Amino acid sequence: MKDRRSIQELMDYLQTVEERELQFEKDAIIAAFESNNNQSLVIKVLSIFGGLLASVAFLVFLYGIGLYDSALGVVFFGIVCLLGAIWLNKISEKIIIDTVSVSFYIIGFVLLALGLGKLEMNENTICVLFMAISVISLLTTRNFILSFIAVLVLNGSVLTLILLNNNYDLIHLYVSVLALILTYVFLKEARILTLNVALSKLYGPSRVGLLFSFLFGLIVLGKGIIPLSLDYIWISSFIFISVIIYLISCIIKVIEVATVQQKVGIFIFSVLLLLSTIFSPAITGAILIILLSFMVNYRFGFGIGIISFVYFLSQYYYDLNFTLLTKSILLFSTGVLFIILYFFTYKKLAPNEKV
Amino acid sequence: MKNIQREDIYIINRHADLTERGVDRVLKEKIYNDKDAWKKFLRLFFIILGIGFSVSGVVFFFAYNWADLHKFIKIALVEGLIISTTSVALLPKINSNVRNIILTGSAVLVGVLFALFGQIYQTGANAYDFFLAWTLFITIWVVVANYTPLWFLYLILINTTLVLYSQQVAKDWSEILVFTLLFSINAIVLFVTVALSTSKRIEPVPNWFLYSVALASTTFATIGITIGIFEEYAIASPILVSIALIVFALGIWHGLKSKSIFFLAIIPFSVIVIISALLIKVSDGEMMLLLISLFIIASITFVIKNLMNIQKKWSNER
Repeated sequence: MKDRRSIQELMDYLQTVEERELQFEKDAIIAAFESNNNQSLVIKVLSIFGGLLASVAFLVFLYGIGLYDSALGVVFFGIVCLLGAIWLNKISEKIIIDTVSVSFYIIGFVLLALGLGKLEMNENTICVLFMAISVISLLTTRNFILSFIAVLVLNGSVLTLILLNNNYDLIHLYVSVLALILTYVFLKEARILTLNVALSKLYGPSRVGLLFSFLFGLIVLGKGIIPLSLDYIWISSFIFISVIIYLISCIIKVIEVATVQQKVGIFIFSVLLLLSTIFSPAITGAILIILLSFMVNYRFGFGIGIISFVYFLSQYYYDLNFTLLTKSILLFSTGVLFIILYFFTYKKLAPNEKV
Repeated sequence: MKNIQREDIYIINRHADLTERGVDRVLKEKIYNDKDAWKKFLRLFFIILGIGFSVSGVVFFFAYNWADLHKFIKIALVEGLIISTTSVALLPKINSNVRNIILTGSAVLVGVLFALFGQIYQTGANAYDFFLAWTLFITIWVVVANYTPLWFLYLILINTTLVLYSQQVAKDWSEILVFTLLFSINAIVLFVTVALSTSKRIEPVPNWFLYSVALASTTFATIGITIGIFEEYAIASPILVSIALIVFALGIWHGLKSKSIFFLAIIPFSVIVIISALLIKVSDGEMMLLLISLFIIASITFVIKNLMNIQKKWSNER
């Protein structure tokens, strides 16, 4: 929370960057800062874990009283829970009901899946139904955690559809589309925020939800759990590399590389380096997450990016079908390449302390 | 206008007719990483990848166990690498971050040396002695470099050594005893680090280190106590519970004092899990599970409400 003076300073500052007179709803702004509805990450995570634990206990309770004997009962109860979660968020925006609504929401999805499965409904239909439910919740609720889960369920259903129907190569379409959406969402923050209030509230949960959905796609892609045809791997790689090259062009602007020669050099070198990972798009995907998050100074995403980068890289070398000696030479020469790169760029990248 | 947060822009944006161009400019000027941040990032990125890849290349090389290479040459190679990397780190002109990254690399090479030793001489060097030797012999590097990631590696090695020791040598130790030890070691490290950095005897320690160690020790305590609840080892459990009580109290006190919401969230969460386990121990009937789910919701909500009030109080004090 801020005091009135710093809020006023903030508004004055924002006025200076705009060309025309701005209309501030001053009372609403002060009230919004006072109610302090922006929870820290810790509180959100606490809410989610609490909701998960409570849901597990409740689901076991339902099992104990024999609800699972009646498929219709399960479905009915699931719908009630989902509606209840959305309704709770409609009537109150208070953080206090977060854990309750998260629990209801999770229980609702689990019960609905169990019940419809029991009624022998087609799995594809269930996935499509889940997609519809998550879209409806995204349209109706403004709650951070609920929207986050809805984004995950939406993308998770698409991923499940691909895996269930053995159309494994469609995974490339999934990760490529997500990469493009993710890039748009990260780079067009200002546009999405100013489009309308509803979108500005959805921005945070969608960003983190999309990030995780993209990551799940990369894990499926990198882990080798599904047989992927080598003929299509270039699709994901091509999209990721193109986006990264675009990002590099933005970075070049930020770090003010002067000469055309240097620019061309950077592009050629990056393309060559990235092309060496063409058969492991998961690694390029992780680099994409790192660059995007660092660009907009999104620390959480940056951390996720670094962890997944290390993970996919180790996975790659572990799975590689070479002798340890060949792997060792490959790794060592890559290392030397980066050390040379470090010294090569040392002067350019040195901090401008002397200026 | 300094000190502008992303969330501030979000809130004002909802109640004002800001334009896309204006918001974009504020974000780019105040929130997004600038030229210097990118330069620093790229420099670190290159050197970390460089050292990281090279060291893993060395690890793979010796894992290959080249039969034609004489054992003396192998050992000489690793020792030569350790000596040369460490000497490079001693060069006065090198930037301190790079020096520390190189030292971290050579600390990993010490591990390679011991692994190689075990591989050549078949000394029955089971994993536990290997990790113990590795831990002991990098102590100097760790202390001299005083670099957080290296300390973190050191702590992971200590934990690994302890776990392996309990599995391979001290097989009669109960699970609770192992968790008590793991919990105590990490709690002590946390305690010392926090005490030293609040009394300004050392540079401020990055939060990720404190949070990871705190999370690890809380997890060990929670698992240990939960096992104790269900298996009733008469000796270790009361000791663990009493240590946990003291450490948790200290943690809450530190959280309140240093205004760190993290400690105030994980400790109550651990307590909630432990109480739920106790409730299941009392009865595992259906009604108890209903009660537990209600208890979790109510208690988490209670914790969150209090955390938010505390946060509000803190920001008013500022």
